[in-house]
Amino acid sequence: MARKTKRNPWVIWKDVIFALFAREIRVGFNDRLGIGWAILQPIIFIFVLSFFRGRLDQGETHTIPTFVFIAFGMVLIQCFLQTFTAGVKAIKKNKALFAFRQVQPISVVLASGLFELLIKIFVSLGMGLMMYFLNLDFQLSDPLSFIFYFLILWLFSLSLGFLVGIAVLYIPEIDKIQSLMTRPLFFISGVFFSLQDFPSDYWWLLDWNPILHAIELSRFAAYPSYGLVGVSNSYLAICVLISTFLSLSVYQACWKKAISR
Amino acid sequence: MLEEGDFTVIKLQGVTKFYQTELGKKYIFKDLSFEIPTDHNIAILGSNGAGKSTLFRLLAGSEYPNKGKVVTHLELSWPVALATGIHAEMTGRENTRFIGRINGVNDLLEYEDKVKAFAELGKNYELPVKTYSSGMRSRLAFACSIAIDFDVYLIDEVTSVGDAGFKRKAKQALLEKSRDASVIMVSHDMRDIRQFCDSAIVLHAGELTFYNDLDEGIRHYQAL
Repeated sequence: MARKTKRNPWVIWKDVIFALFAREIRVGFNDRLGIGWAILQPIIFIFVLSFFRGRLDQGETHTIPTFVFIAFGMVLIQCFLQTFTAGVKAIKKNKALFAFRQVQPISVVLASGLFELLIKIFVSLGMGLMMYFLNLDFQLSDPLSFIFYFLILWLFSLSLGFLVGIAVLYIPEIDKIQSLMTRPLFFISGVFFSLQDFPSDYWWLLDWNPILHAIELSRFAAYPSYGLVGVSNSYLAICVLISTFLSLSVYQACWKKAISR
Repeated sequence: MLEEGDFTVIKLQGVTKFYQTELGKKYIFKDLSFEIPTDHNIAILGSNGAGKSTLFRLLAGSEYPNKGKVVTHLELSWPVALATGIHAEMTGRENTRFIGRINGVNDLLEYEDKVKAFAELGKNYELPVKTYSSGMRSRLAFACSIAIDFDVYLIDEVTSVGDAGFKRKAKQALLEKSRDASVIMVSHDMRDIRQFCDSAIVLHAGELTFYNDLDEGIRHYQAL
């Protein structure tokens, strides 16, 4: 009969997350319509939004081609919204798996977050490829910064989703209002506008939002001529640190109780 | 019976377990201390809602007590029930592979083939589990567990769905392992229990009582 090896905790973690990740991929790609939509939807949105925005400012928005301007906003807000939702749903969806003592809620959340990240990387590469073939003037002068902003936004979304996912176990109603709460984020995170479009007296209405910071900073990382106003990478980083710390501590404090609910 | 010390028992130390309900805390166990010997094949008997499944899940580490702990040096299986860990969209083989990875099986290919042979699924093994009958599902779940070397197998009603031939086979497999492994089982079917177990734990009002003789245990349980 099949032998098992004595594994140290790190190896168990690695094995479990890998198994869950492979399962996410297997089940996720079953839903071909869903995956296709994940790639197609942002592209359609980008076309529509850049068409409208392009009419306002003749194809160039603060020195960036409007199409690229919108594409940055779209990819990043999608990264936030979908990773967040995945984080919220992961625990509830995989509850049956906690029967295996090796599977803990955090591994499930990490695995579905990684799956979302994988899709987002594909979407971004596809977007880049499309712009190349459309002969759009696209530049990425500081790719490392862009990747950094992308990754910490992902971490921010996942940890927030994780936090809400734990809260849902205690108060199921949160699940119903969370999509309502996140919907406005699409409009206030600078997807189709820049902070530069607003008079600085009103920035306080928008600049509390770390997603806006991530989007503006990524645009700046790609086009230094875009100009960096009203946003800061330390604010973004602090938000990410706080949300990660908070979700990990809440998890540590109550996961054993949470899974028996 | 317990002279080999910690290596033949599962110890419950001051275990308190409750569930939060609208009517306040519903206690299943209050400061329960008990030693479950594992050199027997044990049936857990108790009326509905007495906490059989909860006890089971606590032993398996699927849930954790609110206070106290479960201590053992033995390798326990997951609670093998009909649906645990089986995804309906994935094939039998993919599900097996997933369970193998989680449990740290060395040779996944060998494990997959063993499960396939034991569960007698034939070509269905490569089809999604949603196309399986409940008997096929239970065979798959049971085979996934029995194909891994555990010290104690926790089996939750799963044998009741298989047909007579499969039950014989399951019993045979457990007998072969009985020298270094044992079974703890929950079932409402007394025939099943008599087939697999030789002693019993009766669970009543948050207290456990061990009966070395299965029939004695069943008599006490039925007298409750």
